[in-house]
Amino acid sequence: MTFTLLIQSILAGLTNGFVYGLIGLGIAVAFRGARIINAMQGDVALIGAVMAYSASVSFGLPMPVGFVIGVVAGGLTGFLVDRLMIRPTLKRRGSEDSLLLVTLGGAFAVSAAVLLYFGRDSYPIPGIGGNDIVDVFDASMRVHAIWLIVISLAVVAALRWFYAKTLVGQALLAASIDPEGALTLGINVGRMRALTFGLGGLVGGLAGVLVAPLINIQYEMGLLLTLKGFAAAILGGLSSPFGAIFGGVLLGLVESLAVVTISSGYKDVVSMTLLIAIMIVLPQGLFGRRGRLGG
Amino acid sequence: MTALARSATAHLWTGMLMVAVLLVWVALPWFLSRSAIDILVFTGIYTIAGLGVSFLLGQCGIVSLAQSGFYGIGAYATAYGTTVLGLPIPVCIVLGMLVSAVIAAAVGVPVLRLSGHFLALATLALAIIAHVLFLELEWITGGTLGIGGIPRISLFGFTFATPFRFYYLVWPSAFALLLAYSLLLRSRTGIALRAMRDAPAAAAVAGIPIASLKVRIFVLSAAVGAFAGSLFAHYVSFISVDSFAIDRAIGFLLIAVLGGVRSIPGTIAGALFVTAAPNYLSRLGDIHPLLFALALIVAVIFLPGGFGGFMANLGAKLSSGGRRPSAPAGG
Amino acid sequence: MSALLEVREVSHRFGGLHVLKGVSFTVEAGSVTGLIGPNGAGKSTLFNIISGFLTPSVGRIVLLGEDATRLGIQHRSRMGLQRTFQTPQVFRDLTVRENLVAGCHRHGRTGVLEAFLGLPQVRREMRDAAIVADAAIERFDLGPYRDVPAGELPAGRQRMVELARAVVAEPKLLCLDEPSSGLSTAEVQILMQVLRRLNEEGMTILLVSHDMELMEITSKMHALCFGEIIASGSLDAMRASPRVREAYLGT
Ligand SMILES: Nc1ncnc2c1ncn2[C@@H]1O[C@H](COP(=O)(O)OP(=O)(O)OP(=O)(O)O)[C@@H](O)[C@H]1O
Ligand SMILES: [Mg+2]
Repeated sequence: MTFTLLIQSILAGLTNGFVYGLIGLGIAVAFRGARIINAMQGDVALIGAVMAYSASVSFGLPMPVGFVIGVVAGGLTGFLVDRLMIRPTLKRRGSEDSLLLVTLGGAFAVSAAVLLYFGRDSYPIPGIGGNDIVDVFDASMRVHAIWLIVISLAVVAALRWFYAKTLVGQALLAASIDPEGALTLGINVGRMRALTFGLGGLVGGLAGVLVAPLINIQYEMGLLLTLKGFAAAILGGLSSPFGAIFGGVLLGLVESLAVVTISSGYKDVVSMTLLIAIMIVLPQGLFGRRGRLGG
Repeated sequence: MTALARSATAHLWTGMLMVAVLLVWVALPWFLSRSAIDILVFTGIYTIAGLGVSFLLGQCGIVSLAQSGFYGIGAYATAYGTTVLGLPIPVCIVLGMLVSAVIAAAVGVPVLRLSGHFLALATLALAIIAHVLFLELEWITGGTLGIGGIPRISLFGFTFATPFRFYYLVWPSAFALLLAYSLLLRSRTGIALRAMRDAPAAAAVAGIPIASLKVRIFVLSAAVGAFAGSLFAHYVSFISVDSFAIDRAIGFLLIAVLGGVRSIPGTIAGALFVTAAPNYLSRLGDIHPLLFALALIVAVIFLPGGFGGFMANLGAKLSSGGRRPSAPAGG
Repeated sequence: MSALLEVREVSHRFGGLHVLKGVSFTVEAGSVTGLIGPNGAGKSTLFNIISGFLTPSVGRIVLLGEDATRLGIQHRSRMGLQRTFQTPQVFRDLTVRENLVAGCHRHGRTGVLEAFLGLPQVRREMRDAAIVADAAIERFDLGPYRDVPAGELPAGRQRMVELARAVVAEPKLLCLDEPSSGLSTAEVQILMQVLRRLNEEGMTILLVSHDMELMEITSKMHALCFGEIIASGSLDAMRASPRVREAYLGT
């Protein structure tokens, strides 16, 4: 393997890693605020990407407007997921399994709807800085990918500030850690959950519009993104924004090294095997402690 | 005495009902079009594969999306064995089930230690791995080109070549497996499974080997899934990787959820929906995946017992004539 | 008499919390041994260690002369250990009869494949288990509830189901965690009779409770307080012990 190839694969891994990290971030936000795994996260990103594409390419709106529309669509989807799926399930005392099945169903529904309206083709979407490229040690990187990394880091910082410093952020945390206690403090737990899902949706929509210029939108992309984002989130401890990004980058790097050393065809086999291994060996993440036993 | 007499008449009624169902089942293909029989054949194949998923979910609380993988293993094993190796069909079917069982055991031991979300997503990851492998291991599976010319099953010189004939092969198999799963559920092993679903700590104290039972049921379900896959391969005689993608996994899960995970015969209803709906909706384009997804959501939220649970509730209400089966007083 | 169970220098911590501090005692074969102690003394934790739900930080559990400290729950069950839980753990969706059939699990041999194929020995084992279950239903006065899902029973009956389920497993050592809590006075009397009978039939019983009245059936008692055994002896000796009185009545 040449040096250039190595650098190239590291850059690709880094970029993909931030994408997984952003998806994982959305999962972490929903888990942190509602203790629910949203198996739709990758498909929320798909919605964001599709909306941005429709707005900018089909309707000819300026690119930044398309991006904003994509992000808002993601947020709206998150909110609707809570109102149309999570809330009715909880009201009927659905189990943890039911919640997962419902969001999985939602993921399949989004993918199927995109299939119905867009078909099986994939759609390109221009990125920030168009197709410009910068050189890094003979290897090259899209300007858009650099923006993706910068924006991801900014989102992590913003989320940290939100949870630590704002009243709403703290109320969100209180509502998830101790719903009954929060209720007595006058916190509306249901509204907090909707807010959490909306927030996770915004992050998902952002992930979608940022990833779309790099990988071309395709109706099936959501599920794999969810699983890889989930792996990232678990590595990071499942509820930590920074951890999710870190886990995503790690996963992305391992995956791209596997591509150069094994074969690109087996990329998803590697990442899915990693996901399973992480769940078994590191369920508390890289930084987490072991949970309490017995009872 | 009256209770005894009542149960005797009840038995008589169920017996007569069974005979009626049997007669309808035997006669059905004679009155249906070829395409309708084709749907029923697929219903039978999917019932078999769905049974494994349903039992895992309903009795062990294991959400398995990996069934499409085992279904594929069964199909490819029999396709490769018959067309490339030239082995007899029964040998290939059994081989597929064995390969599936061995893989399920190897994968199940680590993966079934997970529970809840983690387990469900792990099985989804397994389905994706299986799909990629079916695509990449071209020397066995033929990749996107697939494998054609898979021979028809014949028994004592009778070849199950048409939907009409295959109907009489797949349904006895499906009924036999329905019966076997019911026997399993009613055995002490079935009681042990339900016990560990209700209170795992107490089940462990009772000496029920929780981890190994879960793996065994998973292995059984994988073998049954492979059997369904083999039947599928011999029925359509051409298979390709498209038949074993994620939407197949979703379909099997939907069969279980719609049919009612606690109801074994309900699986047939779930399978009928999953096979018939796309057929009648196909002129609207690719709409059935959306319908399946929405059906999954609606069934999980509003019909947690599935068709099977719904019918059982209805039956209980009707037969008790409004009386509720009440707990005896005193104590 | 020989020791059926030996607890040797068992200590346990939950994080920084030192719940058990070098607890040692033995349960003699054929005895009814009592363990009392105020809330949070560490009684249930000790039970979890004895039955295999927890591995002690330090110390050993010797069951029937064999070191069982690291054996699994099911293994100890097969060796003849049964326990109940402080909050009764019945199989809620199973009928009372099915609960007891599940309790008989360790007597059977058949597995998944035999049941799936409908082999005759499966039916035979089921019939045997049903006979045992019906006898226990009779004995524990659960007749009216036979076919009722156990989760629908009142709390006191659920305790009886749990006890019956442990008994049908024919344990050598039966460990009961607060069996009388939630029972009416009349029910406690019945429970005491049942336990006496079981002991007369040869079952060794380890009883955890803070109910002194129930302790009348014990032949030997230990008092656990803040993770340490502060006194051992007969019920009368306990009642007389100033340390026990302080631990109990002082709070
Ligand atoms: N899994 C656990 N993790 C952390 N601390 C625990 C755990 N289980 C018990 N404890 C603590 O250990 C101490 C002893 O608990 P334990 O349940 O053994 O007491 P107990 O004697 O059974 O009390 P009670 O009479 O209330 O049943 C308590 O302070 C309890 O809070
Ligand atoms: Mg206790």
